Amino acid sequence: MRFGYRWSCGYDHGHHGCPDGVWRGVLWVRLPSVHLHSGRLEGCVRRSWIPVTILWLAYTVLMVWAVSQFNWLPQEWAEEAHVVDEAMVLLQYLGAPVMALVLAVMTWAVIGWRSNGAKRGDGPPQRDNRVVVTTWLVITSALAIFVVINPGFVGLAEIRGEPNADYAIEIQGAQFFWKVTYPNGAEALDELVIPAERRVRYDVSSVDVNHSFWIPAFRIKIDAVAGLATRAFATADKEGTIDDDVNLRIQCAELCGAGHAQMALPIRVVSEAEFIEYIDGLLEGE
Amino acid sequence: MTMVEEPVGSAASGGRTTKPPRRTKKGRIKARRPFRYVVRGAVLAFVGYVLGVLIVIGARGGSPTDELAVIAGYVLALIGWLAGVGGIEAFGRQWVGKVPEVSTDKSWGRYFGFSVDHKVIGIQYGVTLIAVLLIGGISAMIMRIELASPGVGVVDLDDFNKIVSMHGILMVAVAVAGVIGAFGNYIVPIQVGAADMAFPRINALAYWLLPPVAVGLLSAPLLGSFNAGWTAYAPLSVTNESGQILFNLAIITFGLVSILGAINIIVTVITMRAPGMTWGRLPIFTWAAFATALLAFTVTQFFAGALVLVTMDRVAGTAFFSPEVGTSLLYQHIFWFYSHPAVYIMVIPGFGVILELTTTFARKPLFAYRAVVASMLTIVGLSVVVWAHHMFTSGMADFLHGPFMILTEAISIPTGVIFLGMIGTLWQGKLWFRTPLVIAFGWLFNFLIGGITGIFLADVATDIHLQDTYFVVAHFHYTIVGGAIFALLAAVFYWFPKITGRMYNERLGKIFAIWVTVAFNMTFIPLFWAGMNGMNRRIGDYPPAYEAANKFASVWALILGASFLLFVGNIVYSAIWGPKAGPNPWNARTLEWLISSPPSEHNFTSQPRVVGHPYDYGVEGSVHAYFPAEQAARAAEQPVATATAVLDPPEASGDDGDAEEVVT
Repeated sequence: MRFGYRWSCGYDHGHHGCPDGVWRGVLWVRLPSVHLHSGRLEGCVRRSWIPVTILWLAYTVLMVWAVSQFNWLPQEWAEEAHVVDEAMVLLQYLGAPVMALVLAVMTWAVIGWRSNGAKRGDGPPQRDNRVVVTTWLVITSALAIFVVINPGFVGLAEIRGEPNADYAIEIQGAQFFWKVTYPNGAEALDELVIPAERRVRYDVSSVDVNHSFWIPAFRIKIDAVAGLATRAFATADKEGTIDDDVNLRIQCAELCGAGHAQMALPIRVVSEAEFIEYIDGLLEGE
Repeated sequence: MTMVEEPVGSAASGGRTTKPPRRTKKGRIKARRPFRYVVRGAVLAFVGYVLGVLIVIGARGGSPTDELAVIAGYVLALIGWLAGVGGIEAFGRQWVGKVPEVSTDKSWGRYFGFSVDHKVIGIQYGVTLIAVLLIGGISAMIMRIELASPGVGVVDLDDFNKIVSMHGILMVAVAVAGVIGAFGNYIVPIQVGAADMAFPRINALAYWLLPPVAVGLLSAPLLGSFNAGWTAYAPLSVTNESGQILFNLAIITFGLVSILGAINIIVTVITMRAPGMTWGRLPIFTWAAFATALLAFTVTQFFAGALVLVTMDRVAGTAFFSPEVGTSLLYQHIFWFYSHPAVYIMVIPGFGVILELTTTFARKPLFAYRAVVASMLTIVGLSVVVWAHHMFTSGMADFLHGPFMILTEAISIPTGVIFLGMIGTLWQGKLWFRTPLVIAFGWLFNFLIGGITGIFLADVATDIHLQDTYFVVAHFHYTIVGGAIFALLAAVFYWFPKITGRMYNERLGKIFAIWVTVAFNMTFIPLFWAGMNGMNRRIGDYPPAYEAANKFASVWALILGASFLLFVGNIVYSAIWGPKAGPNPWNARTLEWLISSPPSEHNFTSQPRVVGHPYDYGVEGSVHAYFPAEQAARAAEQPVATATAVLDPPEASGDDGDAEEVVT
């Protein structure tokens, strides 16, 4: 069964005129196509935009529903994570209709435009269409400008904008471990303990090659570059440990040598009082 | 314009081959000592290597595995190899006042000699790079087996990093040179109506620089291999084991391959087009190859430059990237100044292949030809100003984030036009679903996913989380495998009947096309999830939380790997025993389909004349090109036949503008 063509002369290149009716101009289009038998330049093809639009809407609805139903993202443990996750979800919503459009065309291509090669003729000689190209350019440009502004610049300002912090913790990467230095000078190699609901500045550095300071649960990352001071900010918003979520860890994210895979440091988010108690205890213990 | 002159040193000018060739029972010419040049090259390379090492040891002592000794050995080995495989005859003879000679072998032995025939060179590139693709594929299988479960399994962590690095650089080489090396060489000169490339000897030289690249990379394990990834970030690449030096040397050599090949394509397309082949009638694959060559010619030297600096830091005591004196961020800037455009060097030929075969199998003109060409050239321009989007978390100044984000998002606009070109071409076409079109559909789906996930990585806010995770791994496999390797596979099937003169097995081809597309998607979709959920890349061990996704990916990766057995089996079997294909099995219109399969030695038996657009499917009486001399000869034999319109193409009609614009 062929969906695209109204009448057939036994070969699916054939089409012998257009149907009449009110919707004729909407549903059908006359083509300057050569009939293989008669050599006449005539034919009529069902316009494809109706089924493609239906498919597009259906796919879009399906995908938007999927994005709203399923959360692909890990747990959020910091305010910065909310910003990033909102951006991720927004981009998924924006991507859904774009993806749906191409999928709709692909689906209809298989259903409606399939043709038997042995008996085929040529398709309609559409070379260009200024309206379509212009519309396409305007829409894609608008989408690009939109995502640059939000979540682009908006998110950037929220994550890297505010330089104030309640505490500053030094993080030093080395092959293949992290060294934490707290504000009071106490040092630790076994875990990172941070206060909840306090903005912390991480001053990141490296003693050898490049590493990357990444806390997946906070969605923040900055490279630890040899010979360069870098920094990141995060405000943890609830207490927890790596046993609650595997992403509460500092993970080295830049290939740094043999032990790169296991260069991780567990994180424990505690209350501010516990944090101060912990770092004071650490200092006394030294 | 007359036919292009014969390349230097063919049988007529060389004059050494006097004996008539011996033939097999089937009439094929027997090969006479086919491996003599390769063997001579290998021997001279070995002599050169030993000589280089001895010179350095003699001058300053030390062991033969010292990096300076390796460098000297490699350089002399490279010179020895090039001299041995045919450089002595092709270039050396000229330097002493003799006529240069190149291989005039007509047997299968020509594939192992210094042949200047662009078709031989195209096949040499194709076979070499598909072999490298399979080696890189085996390394991927080892990685996926290791990653099937957390903990250290079949390979230890450092070996895993080395395998990752080897896999990365081998596959990058295949993606950079696959389509443009094999099909750029084979198809472009024919599509523009030329007898060969502009510089045939340079073309052969460029190809013969490729085996040393593969040998150099694959022998790096002898010196401890390289574990800094294909990106070779300093300072790790300055301080790791000596295998890194072979990586540097091989990739600098590979840069030469790219640049020499690019010059050839640029000059061929500009100067050797047949009469009537205006820029507006250039087939889209040739446009893509031309755009790619412009890019490769402009930026390749930056990677080589970065690696020269790394090499000097290692052996000459300089401190370009040392933390104390220099800056390691400099490496990343120079590196990505090449390596971001490199992804377009990989995928623009893919765009060309896919659009080319889509018009053929949709039986429609290429939609928005001018906009598509303009987009390719826009991508070439924009691609050199977006490199720092790889460095949003690198510690570079924050004020650079904004501009690079804008420019990166801007590149999605011309890329979108490529999609429009494909969709518009498919629109209401009469789609003939042969294997190349099925793979092209897979390509469209993959590149769509790659493009959409690219937006997540272009936006700084989301990229800060996703950078260096498996999300990036999945994304670039969708663009590079989905965009470049799928196009390479489609190109192999599309031009297979032209190149071999035989038809591949359609049923097996379609099974492969569907198999590879499904297995590829099943392998990489779960890795997006793993990356978002905290799994970073280039690790041989991971927290058990990611086990399910990795196990799933590993199983499907093995299935994906197995699909290539079917591919290689189909291609090898069909090339030898497949049914004869005829000159134009696809009923296509570009010049390569108007000549015999496989094409004769200088492609055209008479000068083609181009009179119309290459993709005017469905336009009555339209003609892309014809052969005036053949037509005259036929007219002399059969005066009656010339009465039909087909044999008497109008000089200028059927050309731009008389196709109706149809709104659908």
